Amino acid sequence: MSNKDIHEDSFQYTDSDKVEKIFSQYPDKRSATLPLLHLAQTQGGYITSAIINTVAKLTEIHPAEVMDCVSFYTMFYSRQQGTYKLQVCQTLSCSLNGADDIVDHITQKYGTQPGETTSDGKFTLLKVECLGSCGTAPVIQINDDYHEGLSIKELDILLDSIP
Amino acid sequence: MPLLKIDSLEIEVEKGTTVLQAAMVNGIEIPYYCYHPALEIVGSCRMCLVEVEGMPKLQVSCNTFVGEAPPERKIEGKYDMVVNTHNDLVIQERKNVLEFLLLNHPLDCPVCDQAGECYLQDYSFKFGNAHSRFDEDKRVRPNEYLGSQIVINHNRCILCSRCIRFTREISGTSELFVEARGNKSKIAALEDKPLDNLLAGNVADICPVGALLSTDYIHKNRIWNLKKQPSVCQDCSVGCNVDVFYQKDKILRLTPRENHDVNGYFMCDIGRYGFHRFEDLDRITTPMARSNGSFSAVSWDEAIRKTADKLGDEGAKIAGIVSPFHTNETNFMLGQIINGPTGTLPQMNDEEIIYQSGFRISNDRSPNRRGMSDVCPALLEDLVSEIDNQDVRMIYVLDDGIDREIDDVWKKILAKMDFVVVQTYAMTTLAQSANIILPGPAPYEREGTITNDGGRVQWLRPSLPMKGESRADWEILMMVMKALDKDAQDFTDIGQVMKDMGEKFPAYDGLSFFRLGPHGMSLNGRANG
Repeated sequence: MSNKDIHEDSFQYTDSDKVEKIFSQYPDKRSATLPLLHLAQTQGGYITSAIINTVAKLTEIHPAEVMDCVSFYTMFYSRQQGTYKLQVCQTLSCSLNGADDIVDHITQKYGTQPGETTSDGKFTLLKVECLGSCGTAPVIQINDDYHEGLSIKELDILLDSIP
Repeated sequence: MPLLKIDSLEIEVEKGTTVLQAAMVNGIEIPYYCYHPALEIVGSCRMCLVEVEGMPKLQVSCNTFVGEAPPERKIEGKYDMVVNTHNDLVIQERKNVLEFLLLNHPLDCPVCDQAGECYLQDYSFKFGNAHSRFDEDKRVRPNEYLGSQIVINHNRCILCSRCIRFTREISGTSELFVEARGNKSKIAALEDKPLDNLLAGNVADICPVGALLSTDYIHKNRIWNLKKQPSVCQDCSVGCNVDVFYQKDKILRLTPRENHDVNGYFMCDIGRYGFHRFEDLDRITTPMARSNGSFSAVSWDEAIRKTADKLGDEGAKIAGIVSPFHTNETNFMLGQIINGPTGTLPQMNDEEIIYQSGFRISNDRSPNRRGMSDVCPALLEDLVSEIDNQDVRMIYVLDDGIDREIDDVWKKILAKMDFVVVQTYAMTTLAQSANIILPGPAPYEREGTITNDGGRVQWLRPSLPMKGESRADWEILMMVMKALDKDAQDFTDIGQVMKDMGEKFPAYDGLSFFRLGPHGMSLNGRANG
């Protein structure tokens, strides 16, 4: 999704069928807050105040309560992320198996600190907590896919193959 | 009913009572922060942990309900629940919980406004450890404004979420939320929706620590220097119960006082900050008489004599203006003096606001309209035309005070009068048209009873001393009464005025400050005079 779809002052779901389906799955409206936010983030790339207001209106709760929820979860982003989110696991097994080296390598390769996006908007480097794949450490999650047990060399090949 | 044993105390409690409530009403102290009787239970502070026999871990007593156990599971054959609040395990746990709550809490009690009424301070002293084992640096954050009147000190906050629940459940405005989580979490408001509702001041009251502060009181004084007087708010006809904190002749702050028949636990910001209107007023502190267009101070004797000379004229027609800003006793006494047409100035209306919890701010911003009409039953709807019809040339006015604006109709009437007596505390528009000004007490100096719009008579207690030579309103009216009629009844204090009022108006019969007590008394069901 390109960030041109986002307008700070207004937001509308493009797929209203999906919104209805989400609502149909829950006994009350406020339960739909999280899936609606996920849907909005998939559509817009990150959570804007317009999204918060829209979700609040749909779920009939106050914007502050939606914000409460958004700020609690680390996977809701408050600013534009790169097309590919490089999420490097930092928890014990990965850390012992060289997660720090991976972060350092990506930092050097693209000149981005953790949390930053490359200037061409392609990659965002993120440090994340346990991805639950400790047996195959170190793990890097690129968008929704796991890439496990990577050496620096394999990582390079992987990153270079991303169009 | 379930039989509960707390420590060595055996008590029967309603099914569904929480352990904390049962302990509180029976005089057993369980410390707590996040619990508030008006708010939803969350059990987040963990301070009220107690041991419940048969349960594997300590339980939060605020969220543990007492129920009935089946006969075969009763403890010692009779108890439905056995709770220990003071054994070694609980005592150690309290120390641990406090140590966690204090991890990032600064040791700035000497500059903190909450000191002296701080639960963190009290419980640390009573239940806590003297030392912390935390070696790291404390998390330090700058203060922030949540709204125009409320500032938050994040370092002191223990995230009990009382303020958040208040905005969600009581005011229904929901401005506050917890931002982020874990070590990073803090109380925040959305940028485009700050905490600016008319109940915002309450969050500073319900904050158990010094995190939420009212900008109106911050760094003004220390709480132990102040005297606290229970009183009643005089800024609308709901009559919220308040505590007035004052030092010498200055009010520092007002806080709500619990009264479930009136305001619950809260009050609005109109009343909370309303006392500032009466500060630095140009007060009238001596009786004044007008001669040749300017006022000069006169003695009480002279002022009363002049008043009585005029009012006592054979066949003189005198109109009276009573006031919903004055006490029942004052209005009653003026009603007794005036035999001509009596009325009141037009009501000044404002917006009525009702919050989600039912908390109400009345559209009538005078405190005693109900009481005034009760004790002055002959009030005329249309005093203006009656004054014209009867060609009244003299008028005795109880001034509403500095908020009163006079319309042109009344200006004309006052200009026409031969003789105007105004009982007031400041040089208001009304006072300027007077021939004689009799100085009385300002709000928060007054004593007497007021009746709210729900028919509850409440004891208005004075917090501040009267200024200069001014005297109590009932005393002034008694002096006028005595000057007019030497055989008039003598009152030595306001209690006697109340008694006399009760004899004439059965609804107010038998009232006394003793019977009113701190929470007042409802008139509903009493015969109305």
